[in-house]
Amino acid sequence: MADASPPPLRFTGQKSLVHRLVLSTLTGRPVRISQIRSSSHTNPGLAPHEVSFLRLLEAITNGSAIEFSYTGTTLVYRPGLITGSVAGHGASGGVIKHEIPDTCRRGASYFLTPLCLLAPFSKAPVNVLLTGPGAITSATPAGDLSVDSVRTAILPLYAQFGITNNLELRILRRSNPGPGGKGGGGEVQLVFGHQVRLPKTLHLLNPGRVKRVRGVAYATGVAASNNARTIEAARGVLNPLVADTYVFSDVSSAPWLPAPDKANAAAKRKTGIGFGLSLVAESSTGVLYSADVASGPAGGEPPEDIGRHCAFQLLESIAQGGCVARAAAPTLLTLMAMGSEDVGRVHVGRDVLATEEVIGLGRDLRAFGASGWGLRDAEGEGGDVVVSIVGRGVGNVGRKMA
Amino acid sequence: AKNLHGSKKAYRTSELARLMYDESLSPADVVRKWKGADESNGAEEENGEGEEDTFFMKAKQEGTDDSEDRAIPRYDYVELEKKWTHEDNVEDLRQKFSSANLLKENAG
Repeated sequence: MADASPPPLRFTGQKSLVHRLVLSTLTGRPVRISQIRSSSHTNPGLAPHEVSFLRLLEAITNGSAIEFSYTGTTLVYRPGLITGSVAGHGASGGVIKHEIPDTCRRGASYFLTPLCLLAPFSKAPVNVLLTGPGAITSATPAGDLSVDSVRTAILPLYAQFGITNNLELRILRRSNPGPGGKGGGGEVQLVFGHQVRLPKTLHLLNPGRVKRVRGVAYATGVAASNNARTIEAARGVLNPLVADTYVFSDVSSAPWLPAPDKANAAAKRKTGIGFGLSLVAESSTGVLYSADVASGPAGGEPPEDIGRHCAFQLLESIAQGGCVARAAAPTLLTLMAMGSEDVGRVHVGRDVLATEEVIGLGRDLRAFGASGWGLRDAEGEGGDVVVSIVGRGVGNVGRKMA
Repeated sequence: AKNLHGSKKAYRTSELARLMYDESLSPADVVRKWKGADESNGAEEENGEGEEDTFFMKAKQEGTDDSEDRAIPRYDYVELEKKWTHEDNVEDLRQKFSSANLLKENAG
């Protein structure tokens, strides 16, 4: 970083847009992303959830510059410092309140997982409240995890990098996707109070054996018997394999959203009704596999199906093996690449490695200046691959420059 | 060259190391090649319909395409259910659980 502003890295397409923005912020390299949904006739350009994420990014950084083209298909992002929830930068009382618009179709985890990646490198603790008429805490049809899985399967990953203190994800109000898959009325607060200079080098070479399964079944605005039915169906699949299966049940009423009309300015409506299940399997060495299924916004699925599907999804994830599940791979691999200048190793299942996301991530990391991954076969019959990643040693960009 | 590809064992790690940073291939192609799947499958999708239909085709694709990021992949639950209710598959998976009996006795 000799010159003041290095030329922006160029990317195309909306795929892994958020992850590229995160990498850009972490490495301090500006990016120019073009052709965002440029072939779409109905809704070209950035989608509401992406715009919302950019706003969030602006809120927790200082000095970021974001430019859109007129149609929103091109985006130039010059990252600033990750300041976290410092008073005076949109935070009041140490909390950044981020409102998600009601057109958003993505779950809260879409915002939380990238935010967690940025938070360890922040200058001050990160404390963000996701709220507003678009906050969906459940799993969504768009393929997001539920916030329960973020709490129980993504946040514990940070402990392996020596980031353990004061991490908390509070689920204040639950919500499933609203009508048409749009919006919700949930509320989640992420407290990420452990900032490090560099994450520790990770050596994760023993997947171990699955010893227990924990889960959360949630029902918002529907009868609690849905939870019982979901849990029973999931246990029916899992119990022959893991006796230590315990699923919590959380029942809440549907959130109210203000819906003012001409006759009544204080009118409210209920939204985000539904139910779902989040399962997390933990192995003897602390490796986590997660699965998430929630009822669709159209309804019509019996709870038994949800439970069974979720259990099958969990088995599939366990069968893919390795020390990192598919949903957690981007987080883990990125943190490894941001670590100190040492070689970290991780066992990755073949089917996890052979996904577009992971291959794309490897390429993106290299584009941002990280070194290429070393790949070799793992010993043992599992057929896993050992991925060796050299850290960049520039983890805490914000603190270094500030 | 195609014959060569066909005879190759799928999932060779050294192969992936070579393909991974080959910028001429899209990540989807890398995955397909590494898995050793037939390459003609992928090419077929592009020339499915007549040219005059391209306007409508694009709109149709939007609803079903995989151009968005997903944390959870799309699963075919009918297939998954078949797979995981099959005795052999479940027995194979049993090894990954701590409840597995390593002495090959009936684990019950």
